[in-house]
Amino acid sequence: MKVLVPVKRVIDYNVKVRVKADQTGVELANVKMSMNPFDEISIEEALRLREAGKAEEVIAVSIGVQQCQETIRTALAMGADRGIHVLHDGELEPLAVAKMLKAIADKEGPSLILVGKQAIDDDCNQTGQMLAALLGWGQATFISKLEVGDTELTATREVDGGLETLTLKLPAVLTTDLRLNEPRYASLPNIMKAKKKPIDQMSPADLGVDPSPRLETLRVVEPPKREAGVIVADVAELVEKLRNVAKVI
Amino acid sequence: MNFDLTEEQRLLVATVRRFIDEHLAPLEDQVDREGVLAPETARAIFKKSQALGLYATNIPTTFGGGGLNAFDTMLLEEQFGRTSDILIRRAFGNVYEVLLRCSASQVKRWLLPSVRGERTCSIAITEPGAGSDAASIKTRAVRDGDGWRLSGHKHYISDGLFSDFFVVSAVTDLAAGSRGISLFLVDKDSAGFTVGRDQPMMGLRGTSHIEMFFDGIRLEAENLLGEEGRGMRQVLETLGRVRLGQVGARAVGKAAKVLDLMVEHAREREQFGQPIGAFQLVQQMLADSAIEINAARLLLWQAAAEIDRSGDGRELISMVKVHAAETLGRVVDRAVQVFGGSGFSKDQPIERYYRDARIYRIFDGTSEIHRTVLGGALMKKGAALYDPAS
Repeated sequence: MKVLVPVKRVIDYNVKVRVKADQTGVELANVKMSMNPFDEISIEEALRLREAGKAEEVIAVSIGVQQCQETIRTALAMGADRGIHVLHDGELEPLAVAKMLKAIADKEGPSLILVGKQAIDDDCNQTGQMLAALLGWGQATFISKLEVGDTELTATREVDGGLETLTLKLPAVLTTDLRLNEPRYASLPNIMKAKKKPIDQMSPADLGVDPSPRLETLRVVEPPKREAGVIVADVAELVEKLRNVAKVI
Repeated sequence: MNFDLTEEQRLLVATVRRFIDEHLAPLEDQVDREGVLAPETARAIFKKSQALGLYATNIPTTFGGGGLNAFDTMLLEEQFGRTSDILIRRAFGNVYEVLLRCSASQVKRWLLPSVRGERTCSIAITEPGAGSDAASIKTRAVRDGDGWRLSGHKHYISDGLFSDFFVVSAVTDLAAGSRGISLFLVDKDSAGFTVGRDQPMMGLRGTSHIEMFFDGIRLEAENLLGEEGRGMRQVLETLGRVRLGQVGARAVGKAAKVLDLMVEHAREREQFGQPIGAFQLVQQMLADSAIEINAARLLLWQAAAEIDRSGDGRELISMVKVHAAETLGRVVDRAVQVFGGSGFSKDQPIERYYRDARIYRIFDGTSEIHRTVLGGALMKKGAALYDPAS
């Protein structure tokens, strides 16, 4: 079976994000970009499935600017077999991404799509769910454990108050959570091999999808600075401040 | 001209950086304090690194190495410089390129096991009376049938305690001067081989530096590395790249690591109600360090590219050796100043970097030797050494 893994190019998790002076978005110029950490977890899980003989091919897909090829290359260096790059320069919303992934899934026929539960830039947490709905496949979100059989899979997902175990028929869409695995390093031999692995490039039009945004960003602002706390003398003063200053009781 | 690294190069650097941060950095303080790396820890980091293909990356793939060219080797060596000498040796291997002169039968016995991490080699050239003047060695190999008898004394041999064989320089023809020196592969368990003292050093703690004595060690024809009488030339040819990596690139990496710590400290440490990085005299120390580190790295890249292009780059290598080592010296000195009392304290790593940095101006040819070599080359070749239009 084939496993499809979308990988998103995002601002590196170590970078302190700054809002652009004109408030239209965040500063991307000269900022270190990396693969979305949840997508790394997805790639790792797909590779483990292949190594366990459950999957034959791992395909990494990225949608966005030309430099997304670097993100795909990272996935290939970790061990993915080939890449697909949908070139698009403008803004992308989860629904457009999900539609394009659906078109790719229709073409490639994967049995499993492993999507990071969310991207750490916009924190939308929508693409996987939308994709499953568009495909009409079963879905399990925020999975922390996965066992794949021939026709179905068992996924453990983290929910409030505990763990939920689901059985799904294949094909299925899963979204991955932090505790599913620890992604591997790209080894030197794999980095060298990655150079020779193919990346197909296409456009949203090739997939029959109009990626124009449905939302308009009015402005982006920094969160308010945290103010210093105050030390209160006693409970009476605390209650007084909660009531009259913070106005929470 | 494009100074961007390729995606592969960036991935390589990222993998090594992550490996060092996760597996080696946490060991550095303990190794420095105790002066020794526990064998089981050494084994563990070797295993992890080998699994990622990071051991012996400088050796061609035909011998099981990583097959990196000089430029990519320097990218990794720069990262190696961010951690301690002994951890680099155990995790990434110091497989000297002079071993590539091994004949087919020697390859099996010495080179391949070194690339696999089963054997470890050190270079034994330095003697009490022969440091920079490596041709004035007293160790002799006297013809004995189809082999030799080796007698003499070496000292300051880095990693000698752990290593199980050595590339030893010895005089084979007394009358021929520097053309009468040959290289031998000498196993530590040879009869007549005595390991002397581990000579304690200011820095590089965890790496041994030993004396060794040879008392009529019987060497077979197979122990001769390369050609008889061409030992000095062979050493000079292959040590250029070693020098560029292990001194030049590592000095750049170490200086960059120290500057990271300086900037972080300058942001966090507050005096007179503001971060000390707000003071211009502190900023000057940071700025000068960044300027010098970038200049040293570009010179390093130039030398590495020259090796890949022409196979030679000896003058550029000398320039890198001097400039990177002295940059590191200035950066660690400023780091102690920026950190103040905590830079002098053994509770902080700056003191360790300061001690570890000092040898860079000395080993693999002192700054003075390299300047002298460059001066001589300038007298001969003139502007070719510094003017692309010449």
